[in-house]
Amino acid sequence: MRKMSPLYLSLVLVVVTTVAASGQSFQVQCPTATITHPFHAAAGVACSQNPTAPGCNNNEPAYTAATTLTAGANGYLVPTANVNGAIKCQQISGGDGFATMGDGSQTYLFAFGPLSGLADMSNGLPGTQFPNVFNDVAPPLVPGDPATTDGASQAPYSLGDPSVFTYNGAVGLASDLDAIASGACTPDALGRCLDGHVDTRQIMDVGVLNGNMPAPLMAIDEDDEFFLTLTNVGQVMRPDLFEQHTVHFHGYPNASAFYDGVPDASVAINIGGSFTYYYLAPDAGTYFWHCHITPPEHLQMGMVGQLYVRPRQNRVPGGTSLYAALQTQQADLRTKCDSSDILCSNPLPAVNTGATGGAKYAYNDGDGTTRYDVEYPIQIHGFDPNFHFVGMTFNPEGFTEMKDKYFLLNGRSYPDTVHNGPLATQTTDGVMHYSQPMSAIINIPAGGRALLRIADLDVTEYQTLASLGIPMQVIALNAKLLRDQAGNNLYYNTNSITLAGGESLDVILDASDTTKYPSGSVFYLYTPNLDHLSNDAENFGGLMTEVRIN
Amino acid sequence: MRAMNMKKAISKTQLLLATVVALTLLLTPAAFAAAPGITGPTFNLTARPAYISQPDGSAVYSWGYGCSVAPSGFAPALTGATCPNMQVPGPTLIVTEGQTVVVNLTNNLPNPAGNTSILFPGFQVTATGGVNGLLTREAGRATTNNVVHYTFVASTPGTHAYYSGTQGDLQVEMGLYGAIIVLPASTPAVCDSGVHASNLTAQGHWGETDFRLAHAAYNHPGACYDREYLFQYSEMDPRIHRQAEEQSTRTCTNCMNVATEPYLPAYFMINGRSMPDLMDPNYAQEYPHQPYNGNPHMHPGELTLLRIIGTGRWQHPFHEHGNHVRVLARDGNLILSANDPSSLAGPLLFTTTTTPGVTMDGIYYWTGKGLNWDPYGHNAASGSTLPCTPDANGYNTGAPNAINYFEWCQDHNKPLQTHPFGDVAGGGPATLPDPNIFANGPWFGGSPYLGPDATVRAVGNTGTTPPSGTVANPPDSEAGFAFMWHSHNEREITTNNIFPGGMLMMMLVDSREFVIDESN
Repeated sequence: MRKMSPLYLSLVLVVVTTVAASGQSFQVQCPTATITHPFHAAAGVACSQNPTAPGCNNNEPAYTAATTLTAGANGYLVPTANVNGAIKCQQISGGDGFATMGDGSQTYLFAFGPLSGLADMSNGLPGTQFPNVFNDVAPPLVPGDPATTDGASQAPYSLGDPSVFTYNGAVGLASDLDAIASGACTPDALGRCLDGHVDTRQIMDVGVLNGNMPAPLMAIDEDDEFFLTLTNVGQVMRPDLFEQHTVHFHGYPNASAFYDGVPDASVAINIGGSFTYYYLAPDAGTYFWHCHITPPEHLQMGMVGQLYVRPRQNRVPGGTSLYAALQTQQADLRTKCDSSDILCSNPLPAVNTGATGGAKYAYNDGDGTTRYDVEYPIQIHGFDPNFHFVGMTFNPEGFTEMKDKYFLLNGRSYPDTVHNGPLATQTTDGVMHYSQPMSAIINIPAGGRALLRIADLDVTEYQTLASLGIPMQVIALNAKLLRDQAGNNLYYNTNSITLAGGESLDVILDASDTTKYPSGSVFYLYTPNLDHLSNDAENFGGLMTEVRIN
Repeated sequence: MRAMNMKKAISKTQLLLATVVALTLLLTPAAFAAAPGITGPTFNLTARPAYISQPDGSAVYSWGYGCSVAPSGFAPALTGATCPNMQVPGPTLIVTEGQTVVVNLTNNLPNPAGNTSILFPGFQVTATGGVNGLLTREAGRATTNNVVHYTFVASTPGTHAYYSGTQGDLQVEMGLYGAIIVLPASTPAVCDSGVHASNLTAQGHWGETDFRLAHAAYNHPGACYDREYLFQYSEMDPRIHRQAEEQSTRTCTNCMNVATEPYLPAYFMINGRSMPDLMDPNYAQEYPHQPYNGNPHMHPGELTLLRIIGTGRWQHPFHEHGNHVRVLARDGNLILSANDPSSLAGPLLFTTTTTPGVTMDGIYYWTGKGLNWDPYGHNAASGSTLPCTPDANGYNTGAPNAINYFEWCQDHNKPLQTHPFGDVAGGGPATLPDPNIFANGPWFGGSPYLGPDATVRAVGNTGTTPPSGTVANPPDSEAGFAFMWHSHNEREITTNNIFPGGMLMMMLVDSREFVIDESN
């Protein structure tokens, strides 16, 4: 270390006081406007009165041009026109829970659970919300919600009605009466001050033992700012532990160490605290996320979730050339991703196909080749029942003899993979919880194309997933489009893909040939690692699901 | 990080391990890596037994290649460079494309182990001496035939593997493997101009030495690099090593009968070491038979060449935190566009699987582009702001002597935190939690910001994150951004059932005022 003033050393030593904490340990953050996303509604539109109006950051505006930036008064660039993207927020709990395996047994989890988007998640959707949805006060909630309110009563196939519970906002968010009284906060139209202050009772009621497998699904769009609050509610079943948890956004390019979620390289949140991760959405792609505390343990125990970023190209208006839209992106230094950068895989396509926007795409391809009709996040994982059993006791766990016996697609083994709707599990608090909300059925409309966003989080071995029927077209690896620097697509067809834990790829199942793939036909995704077609002692089950042409 | 598994049984071991981590890091604050090896083109190697050290305290009986006489040289020139007569991995052989390479191998394994040999996949090898073997000629047991000579032309640049071709399930497991780095005969001029030239200027300004073996991995403009590291992945099943040790003193020849199945490895190593030993210096005296480390450092914007080799018998998903890796080549074969050889066509991966016998060259870098906040914590109002003048790609590359050289200018001065802290402005999007409710990691730099200048300004006496316990990345001297590079088959980041350990190292992105010293 050179040229370091002694003054610096003394400054570090002087750090003995900290500013007053913001009042409480649990809190959420979901600003309605930021430097990057100021309110930019048309003149005369008040976002407080009309939150879903264009320019209020509660919807995704069309992408027509790069954001115009100008030097602001505070020395940094601020947007003046074409504000793209929006603000997204999500809250998750870190704690424990139980899941139901394909042979009916209950398995203990170290797990994340939903504390926002509860209704969406019980329908298998992401728990990510716009601020106007997130910043709301919940109706009265009870332990087990939403399963309890829905009337779920039978594990694992709930008899509840997932349409009864409709709240998607943050759990715990409450009006900050102190801030209103002190004048620090101006109440909204309903007399509330929703500044992140929470009612901790509600968080504990809903958050304890509400672990999900997979962990809550997240989805954001390029140009979004994402505020992800992790609230550590503790592990009721393991009072001997004082486990911290973190979120590692796996694959985030040019990450900061601070928000990378590695406890060794950053900070980790203790029980009873909340930490809000802040991300500008990275390049479109299929990523995933997981806890990074003692990874061989916390990942094996279930703290693994899915996360994807939708491309700017989805917001290109219908009829607009995708090639021209990609040229627009390449002209903006922030969104440019071409061969001038060795870590970019999105040059203009070698051939301008003339494709126009208005559909859904996996990547900013510029030629429409990643278009899809329906998308399915598919997480591959494995559970070692012995490790999970020991993990529920106070005994030491071994790593070298870890051997997975349950093989999971979205936290389920066949035949649960082809069950519609959430699976419920009764946990040790005596109430039902939606433990595995995501079905693994691939429903494709006749003649349609399905995007499979596949991530593997197994901690012990490589896993293969094969398609019996519709070929798999691999369009991307590790959240990057398969395209060479000259713009040639390097997609390939295969009937199987093999992934390690810590890898993702994107597959298109193209059922556009309705002669080969007529309505009503059923195909299978399964593992040719034949010993993985089992549920512990049951010799039929495991890593398999159905592709249904509707 | 709290080591928490095998909770009761090994709690003392863990405490000891944690202490060792802390002490080691305190004692060796600057211990980096480069891609060290020996130069030829003639190499006199021997295969011998010795004990290698693992961080659980065990000494594992192993076999390795080493130098039978002093090598003709070391590259790069590092402090304390040695080539012992047995090491794991074997010596990294550094040659130049087109050279005729001669490897003379003497068999000094115990008699019961029988013959041994070396394979050089990807090269046309002529073998003489020794005795006939299945895959190549082998160094035998008798004084008349225990030396074998391999000759080949280093025809293709890049990173290559070498390993035993005799009873590989046992001999490779025991440690008989290594790397060959073939430097291109010529490198593109573009590798010495533009940002590569200014990166070198910046290194020179801060007193850093250039430890690269070459300026490009291949004679291709896409293969330029500013820094390089070699990582060899392998694993060990201690039961196999124990059997070999027990049988090594038998008086018979070629009579070992070691069960290599079922295979249950307990040690997962990079460059023959497990975390935390892995991050100690190259040629550290504690590891006389494991000279190579894994302790990568880089500055923002530097193109870093990763030379990755899988050995052993398992695949390992090597996850690089912080950014993607552009795969340049596999087994020394550049991957180029089918219709435009000036364009790269290798995939971009955040998890680069290592496969036994397979090598990979890849380029990684980190710049902080896209964070949407200024990682240098510049505060326009206080005057602590350095200029940021964007180049054609938006980076501050015109000021190689500045701390914020290669800053992504679009986020310049943009605050992260809602409230001002120390000399870092407020007005940003995020509120950090009360420091009483989180725990600092040993590689936490002390603030969200990069480098001692920013960190010390941010955690002044109104700061929010007292940087206690950050022993491995001190806020006042390094404060780098630390990223874990590790196997994502997560049970492999353990050492014989102890977490942390195994295939795990921290990569540090350091701001420019921290001097990266790769001299050992």
